[in-house]
Amino acid sequence: MTTKSPSCRAIELDLVATATGDAESDSAERVHRHLDTCASCRDEFGRYRAVDSMARGLRSTPPADAVAKSRAGLESRLADLRQRRVAYRIFPSPLGHILVGRSEHGIAVVEYLHAGTSLRASRLARVEGIEPVPGGPELERLQRDLLDYIGGRRRDLDWTLDWRLARSEFERAVLGATADIPYGAVASYAGIARRIGKPSAVRAVAQALRWNPLPIVVPCHRVIGTSGRLTGYAGNKLGLKQQLLGVEGVKLRPGRGDPSIAREAMYALGEGETQYCLPTCGDIGTRSLSLVTLFASRADAESRGLTPCTDCRPDLHPLSAA
Amino acid sequence: MSHKRMGLQPFETVVTAHHAEIYRYLLRVTSRSGDADDLSQETFLRAYRAWERLNEDANVRAWLFAIATNLARNYFRSESRRRRAYTGVSDTRSEVDPASPEETRRFHETRALVERVVDGLPFKQRLAFVLRKLHDLEYDAIGKSLECSPESARAHVFQALKKIRLGLNGHELPMMESVR
Repeated sequence: MTTKSPSCRAIELDLVATATGDAESDSAERVHRHLDTCASCRDEFGRYRAVDSMARGLRSTPPADAVAKSRAGLESRLADLRQRRVAYRIFPSPLGHILVGRSEHGIAVVEYLHAGTSLRASRLARVEGIEPVPGGPELERLQRDLLDYIGGRRRDLDWTLDWRLARSEFERAVLGATADIPYGAVASYAGIARRIGKPSAVRAVAQALRWNPLPIVVPCHRVIGTSGRLTGYAGNKLGLKQQLLGVEGVKLRPGRGDPSIAREAMYALGEGETQYCLPTCGDIGTRSLSLVTLFASRADAESRGLTPCTDCRPDLHPLSAA
Repeated sequence: MSHKRMGLQPFETVVTAHHAEIYRYLLRVTSRSGDADDLSQETFLRAYRAWERLNEDANVRAWLFAIATNLARNYFRSESRRRRAYTGVSDTRSEVDPASPEETRRFHETRALVERVVDGLPFKQRLAFVLRKLHDLEYDAIGKSLECSPESARAHVFQALKKIRLGLNGHELPMMESVR
């Protein structure tokens, strides 16, 4: 091979770039000026053009059936992944760090993180058949909604729900009945058991709610013991239950151990009735909480289409707001 | 809840638009249809997992190539596989169809020679070359795929072309005109 002159060496990079269609216009100009005076570089230029054309000749089309087979395999794996995928977001709140997760069918999980602030600290990470993936900006709305709710600036979480993390039909029934308890109202575990037609399954109801995959959204904080005590929440997070009920205006009485509902400061609705009463109306104040739903305010009761009792007239003698 | 995203196309259209090309890329890089199959599927499964977090103005095609390249890099970490891959792609059809039997013979000979040189290139040079010359990717996208600067990507392609040029020394080439 001949030894190149310094000017040929200096232009080599641009020459290759120009010959292979990769050069800026000014360096191409420079190369072509050089080629006009240098026969060996002209030859080299021609060879690089041939190399480039050979290189592009390597473009080949894989057999269509192989591509189609791979595509079909991909589609089926994607469909499977889509089924299992839950996009999640973790954020701090006045109730501690919260994880919210959405599948393509709806919101599938809300979880208090007690043991950390990452997915690793969550129950979701250990659910079989679920693939948690970090969510994008579309989950910000869920975070905003939840924080507004916890802050008392929002009463409804009108989310489409995905019940896939409910572990049985029974659990779904319990969650469904719990979801029907209105804002500012409380019912009892025994009351929920009656509503799903399993009046003796009180403990099972409590267990099901202990595993509620959608706390806050499915308001298990509105479910209390028949004694009026708050009883339990999210393992041992009674404080959170107290806070959520406080936000909704539910009146609580501090007690030995659990706080309990100040029943005398709440409106009451008897089972199967459509009129709500003062706590002093007839025997409603002494009826078992398995048969009564309590409301923090008249507005909460009336937002569900209930009307004031025509005997005790809560509309004329409202409970004092204090 | 609907799965549509603000401004971003649904993932299905990404598969439709790019699967065949990513498969072609990985077949070229691995030389084995089974591996191209696996790696191209894995590329899109990874992409799907990260899809929601991708910026709306991201270059989706370049992003997919970067994922595929990353998988290819892991694939070649096993040296034995790398040697196996040198056996060459045999079941593909070239987009160039030379006319006469003599031309065809010469074309295939030269092509095989170029393929051998390309397959023998160091990993980054080889991938930079394939991404640029076979898939027309911009240098900044190639740089992102190979985790280097656009300038380094350009240098890798330059080195690759130089080696092919040297590999073809003494081989009769269809000379192109050297005028502009």
